[in-house]
Amino acid sequence: MKQTVQLSRIQEKMKPGIITRDGFLGTDRRNLIDMLVEDDETVKRMDLTHATVAQRMIDLRDAGLRGLGNFINVEPHFEVRVDSVRGKLPCPFGDPGIFQKTNTTVRNLKSGKEVTYTDLHIHMIGSHGFYEGRGSPFRLEPETLVSVLEIKKATE
Amino acid sequence: MTVAIQLLIGIGAICGVSTVLAIITVIADATIANYGDVKIRINDDKEVVVSGGRPLLGSLMEQKIFIPSACGGRGSCGLCKVKVTSDAGDYLPTELPWISEEEKKQNIRLSCQLKIKKDIAIQIPEELFNVKEYITEVASLRDLTYDIKEATLKLIEPGEIKLRAGQYIQFQVPEYELSKESIYRAYSVASQPSVTDRVELEIRLVPNGICTTYVFNHLKEGERITINGPYGEFFLRESEREIVFIAGGSGMAPIKAILYDMREKGIKRKATYFFGARAVKDLFLVEEMRELESSLEGFTFIPALSEPSESDRWEGETGLITEVLDRHIGTGDDTEAYLCGSPGMIDASVKVLTEKGIPEELIYYDKFA
Repeated sequence: MKQTVQLSRIQEKMKPGIITRDGFLGTDRRNLIDMLVEDDETVKRMDLTHATVAQRMIDLRDAGLRGLGNFINVEPHFEVRVDSVRGKLPCPFGDPGIFQKTNTTVRNLKSGKEVTYTDLHIHMIGSHGFYEGRGSPFRLEPETLVSVLEIKKATE
Repeated sequence: MTVAIQLLIGIGAICGVSTVLAIITVIADATIANYGDVKIRINDDKEVVVSGGRPLLGSLMEQKIFIPSACGGRGSCGLCKVKVTSDAGDYLPTELPWISEEEKKQNIRLSCQLKIKKDIAIQIPEELFNVKEYITEVASLRDLTYDIKEATLKLIEPGEIKLRAGQYIQFQVPEYELSKESIYRAYSVASQPSVTDRVELEIRLVPNGICTTYVFNHLKEGERITINGPYGEFFLRESEREIVFIAGGSGMAPIKAILYDMREKGIKRKATYFFGARAVKDLFLVEEMRELESSLEGFTFIPALSEPSESDRWEGETGLITEVLDRHIGTGDDTEAYLCGSPGMIDASVKVLTEKGIPEELIYYDKFA
């Protein structure tokens, strides 16, 4: 698929040193459109939508907020901690508002695996289907997210 | 040739020329433009001369004037705001996400983004003139819990620091595998002001955090580290009111500094410290706090666990820190509170405290936000 001028502008903003020191692209040299398309196909193959993925991330974050900065048990077999560090980030897609550097860490006690995501991740996935480029230290692999957070179709 | 095609060619030509001009402007600005020396007038009484065309934050830093910044000047923390009292040009798109309408009216600018191309006048808090850069050496590293480390930095040059209990410093992380350039992160000082030749920090591991990963995986005893500071308005107010302290995790640091400072200064106000953790493995410095209970008159330490495990054999307070707080403190407006921790913990605690009748203006907090 062809990259639009608008997406090229957004991709520029995702490079290191523009919004964050290391940027959002990692070692990925592809056009942004190709990153979006590949992750979109991955999510569709799992019969899910980005909105469903983002909603699960929100639900677990909100459940974890009750821990007031400490890990807390969340049914059926998760431990969740929501913590913050100083600073805020704007969305590279140019959406209004800035996002608190809130880290949600979800441990799946059944599988022994964990993921950490920020409020900006939730926004970028829910609104843009963007999981960050390959090699980015903050990339969230869609399959990993779906597996650790045990994301199922909204109708299930 | 149709009119439509001629129109498209015309638009294309205009776009092309605009793009070329924009590129030339950027290149010229970066390479050819010479703004010469420019003056920065500070608080109407101090003037420094710097090279023009560079960001205000870095130019001030070269003059040993440090504005708080948690991202090292990348425009991603929004902390380095400065009031400009002269014309400094239009706001840049990179500043706007951080500037409110009210701040625009006051001409507050993001100093890491604002390039000074002509003389400029600014106003900064006087206490920032007390901020200095320090070369330090890591004197010791100690695990307080599985995810909180204590780092003690011995000051080398200058050899002494003057700060108020509760303030923070900025720690410069050198280049390493996760960061191509050095960056700064803010940490509260856990040692009391009478300790002038070193600073003690309590640092909690943040998943993928550039600074905390460095501290946990790379920092070594004997290593030289640059810090600057002190900063912050989180310190004990002078009054006779009863005090409530609330903290969780590395929020312990500034409270510890304040408590040790109180003991040294003979401040005997009634003070209760609520410290929230999940389980025994998340508690630390409990012995030190128990010792303070016997040496600091009027002081009580109440650690509370939200989800102690059976093996913890915990007989102390249980529940979220807000629940424990609700059970212990009475109503009244003759109390002031000092909170340090995550925004969630602080927001929930402020709600409980105000419901108990403590006025919001007597609740002071250092939110990790």
